[in-house]
Amino acid sequence: MVQVARSQAAPTEDPALRARFEHEVLPLLPNLYGAALRMTRNPQDAEDLVQETYLRAYRGFGGFREGTNLRAWMYRILTNTFINAYRKKQREPVTVPEDDTPDWYLYDKLGGAGAEASAEAEVLEQLPDEDVQRALEALPEAFRMAVLLADVEGFSYKEIAEILDVPIGTVMSRLHRGRKALQKALWETVRERGLVTD
Amino acid sequence: MSPTDCEHVLRQIELYLDGELVGQIRLEVERHLGDCHPCSGHADFQRHLKEMLRSKCGCDRVPEELAERIHTMFGEAPPVRG
Repeated sequence: MVQVARSQAAPTEDPALRARFEHEVLPLLPNLYGAALRMTRNPQDAEDLVQETYLRAYRGFGGFREGTNLRAWMYRILTNTFINAYRKKQREPVTVPEDDTPDWYLYDKLGGAGAEASAEAEVLEQLPDEDVQRALEALPEAFRMAVLLADVEGFSYKEIAEILDVPIGTVMSRLHRGRKALQKALWETVRERGLVTD
Repeated sequence: MSPTDCEHVLRQIELYLDGELVGQIRLEVERHLGDCHPCSGHADFQRHLKEMLRSKCGCDRVPEELAERIHTMFGEAPPVRG
């Protein structure tokens, strides 16, 4: 756990800036913590990651420019902190697996052609939150980050490209393949839970 | 509805649901989904999947101790430390 005295943390004693940090950055905590959990897959690491992210943001906030997307800025710090600290620790190589999953995998598996889409959606709705979280967390990092930022956090492709520092085309391909891989994992989960019979 | 239309639209659905399609192409996809039951079934499913992910993966409770620590360290009026 990083313990930091406030005097070390504060980049500025400007009260207006401090107020702004409190009103605009602190409320992002629940989302940042959730994202940190999906990234680190571990509550203690997630806490450390969030605290380190806030520390870096607080130090850098003096240089934060008006008109910059504050939320995307925070997620960029979160992502960079994660990559620097935790990828090394986990020694997870950045590899992208073979793309062997067809489009519409889950829809077809759940029998989409025959039934109303709402019936398939209901099967998924029955999955416990933890199962869906584990499926997302099991994705290779490159895919996991793209899906997390797009589907859970609701960022645009342009914002994700900035957060991950990759071209938009890369965001699109990681997102597409990540979603397919997730559908495959969800199908396995749905079967294990006995929510469908083959 | 020609199969080519459907293929084309199905390839655009992710972009469409992500809000990344604009202008003429967005209108074309919207019009097609309005007329084509199979394609709108695909789109509805993909939309449900997106919503399900958001609701099931975005609801973690922040540990109270962490929230307190963050507010103490970076809040506007922290207690004076020795």
